[in-house]
Amino acid sequence: MNAHNIGTVIAFEVRRTLAKPSFWIATLSVPLLMALLFGLSFFSGASAAQSSLESDAEPVTFTYTDASGIVDPSVAAGLGGTAAADPEAAAAAVREGRSALHIDIPADPVAEGVHVVGEDLGLMESGRWTSVARALLTQSAVARIDEPRLTSVLDGFTVTSELWAGGAPAPGWGAAIAPALFLVLLFMAVVMLGQQMLNITVEEKENRVTEMILTTVHPSTLIIGKVIGVVLVGIVQGLVLLVPLLAMALVPGLTSLVGAPAAEMADAAAAGQAAVDLPRVLMGAALFLASFVLFAGILVAIGAVMPSAKDAGSAFGSVIIAMFLPLYALPLVLQTPESVFSRVLTYFPLTAPVTTLTRNAVGSIELWQAGLVLAVIVLCAVLALSLGVRLFREGSIAYDQRLSWKDIVRATRSKATNPAA
Amino acid sequence: MSTPAIEVTDFTMRFGARTAVDHLSFDVRPGETFGLLGANGSGKTTTIRALLGIYTPTAGTLHVEGRPFDPAHNSSLGYLPEERGLYKKEKVIDVMTYFGQLKGMPRAEAALWSTYYLERVGLASHATTRLDKLSGGQQQKVQLGVTIMDNPTILVLDEPTKGFDPVNRRLLLDIVEDQRRGGATVVIITHQMDEVERLCDRVLLLKDGRAEAYGTVPEVQDAYGGRTVRLHHGGPLPTSTRWRPITTERSYAELELDAGVEPRDVLRELVDAGVDVRSFDASRLSMEQVFLKVYGHAAQEEVSA
Ligand SMILES: Nc1ncnc2c1ncn2[C@@H]1O[C@H](COP(=O)(O)OP(=O)(O)O)[C@@H](O)[C@H]1O
Ligand SMILES: [Mg+2]
Repeated sequence: MNAHNIGTVIAFEVRRTLAKPSFWIATLSVPLLMALLFGLSFFSGASAAQSSLESDAEPVTFTYTDASGIVDPSVAAGLGGTAAADPEAAAAAVREGRSALHIDIPADPVAEGVHVVGEDLGLMESGRWTSVARALLTQSAVARIDEPRLTSVLDGFTVTSELWAGGAPAPGWGAAIAPALFLVLLFMAVVMLGQQMLNITVEEKENRVTEMILTTVHPSTLIIGKVIGVVLVGIVQGLVLLVPLLAMALVPGLTSLVGAPAAEMADAAAAGQAAVDLPRVLMGAALFLASFVLFAGILVAIGAVMPSAKDAGSAFGSVIIAMFLPLYALPLVLQTPESVFSRVLTYFPLTAPVTTLTRNAVGSIELWQAGLVLAVIVLCAVLALSLGVRLFREGSIAYDQRLSWKDIVRATRSKATNPAA
Repeated sequence: MSTPAIEVTDFTMRFGARTAVDHLSFDVRPGETFGLLGANGSGKTTTIRALLGIYTPTAGTLHVEGRPFDPAHNSSLGYLPEERGLYKKEKVIDVMTYFGQLKGMPRAEAALWSTYYLERVGLASHATTRLDKLSGGQQQKVQLGVTIMDNPTILVLDEPTKGFDPVNRRLLLDIVEDQRRGGATVVIITHQMDEVERLCDRVLLLKDGRAEAYGTVPEVQDAYGGRTVRLHHGGPLPTSTRWRPITTERSYAELELDAGVEPRDVLRELVDAGVDVRSFDASRLSMEQVFLKVYGHAAQEEVSA
């Protein structure tokens, strides 16, 4: 009977959500916006590339005065520069608009600094003048040293590394990708489904349907059924979001935009760096699932206590902030994982999901510790969900009132006295 | 005797310092129609909510068919709450079918029954309308349908006719009457005393959370006064030492007779006095009079408020 009813609740919730045009408008607007943004950046990217080509072709002409004697006149000529006799007159020419750029090099450029006077090209482009000044000096220096192998070191070089742990190559950053996906998934689930989770109980109260429903179906059947319904709807939404990504992978012109990071990952995998660290992936999945149930339980409880969607919304905001606040403290946590601060963030139920998912992904937590956190989250998730159910029973009749703390305490105790629960 | 349909023993409910119901005991027998009466705030809704597990009682036991109410076991109970409400954004037929399924009906059967019911209450054309597009009275009809859709053995109706016009009140009472005739036990909370006289086998009068009177309708009427006479008449009524008028309207009066006075003596006296008696009904005190006697001024203030 109960199992049958949970199916009925799930079917009703999923069907009525999917039957609403507003759901599809909201869901489809995301991929449409994404497609629009990608399209825009694709075309503007193409035109930006075009314009940078054009500016490369256009030679810069400038004047310079050199008190240091470092500048090689042939290098300067190659860059488009001509020596000027009087720095003041050359600068004045720029100020009056007769010339685009003047570079004034003092006797000791490092100590005194180089001064440029240039025509304004806008915030983004004016940096070019500085680059011209730098190029003028460094290329002149290279020309004077006249030993390319030596000077090329200054231009930078690549370093490849291989790391070993316990006689086997360490997986490196590549292995963090799969478990870190669960952090992304948690974030998406919270953003996309939070409001609907909150609505599970708020809606019953706002519609004043609780008395009818509580005498027809057990509250835990109703709430678990509705949570599952929301998750199924979320999966549908997720699939809809995937469609444009797949489409882009198939359209050849767009592949380069999306495909680049994927190609890098594939390269890394080919190089043996993105080995999948199965225990960490499984731990990430378990942490994600437990965290999601915890989150759902908290929202159900908030909804049961608050009289309206508006009141519940502000409480919802605080929960989100508390959950994702650890993101700001992550560098500190990862650098000092054993500090009291890190431990608190790791084990405190609200901050544990994000902190531990991240630490698990980058391997800064032992698996057994992550298992301990998992146990804490699972325990809190079960508590939050059952508290939510009980608060719903007790609180939903006070349709317009917020439950008082006394009511909440009474609800948490009522399990002992109520034989039906 | 068989197990009572409903059995309440020593039920007490406190909200903080306020005692809403105080040591209340009563039972409802299978198949009877039971009236739960009382002025506003006397604890009727609280009693029903505690009975159905929505409130946790402070003390006492409340049983439905011999055990505390549990929707999983007592699936055959229909409850029309005082706070009306259904999923407002959904279509009428969808909501009705959903509740039918929750009550254990197959989906197709629930949909079929709903269609039939909507036809009966004149809402056939609104089956696919969103609930919040219906008027308040129409929504109430839908909700009554949800309450009775699996022909429950126990029906609990909290002020079912509140807000209905006379036509729809009649329609609703006919539907309840059908259920009763089909064997359902009906518990009805109402302020319409004529409904009580017509429908109820037994009643419980609550006053400030305590049982003020409890028994069959005639028993309660007898407990609150001797015999009365109701009459429609023309011309002024004479005064008499043998009766007291308790209601006098333009052409209608209710007279309470002194002990030992027979109605036919009153009729003779009235005719002798030249009163044009158009109808004459010797009966007990009306429930309306009982109600006014019990709740007095407090009740009248509530009504005018
Ligand atoms: N949830 C509640 N919290 C506090 N007081 C309540 C609550 N429910 C009912 N009461 C109080 O209990 C008394 C009885 O109310 P109720 O049973 O609704 O009366 P009625 O007989 O009109 O249905 C009233 O004084 C009411 O204010
Ligand atoms: Mg009431």
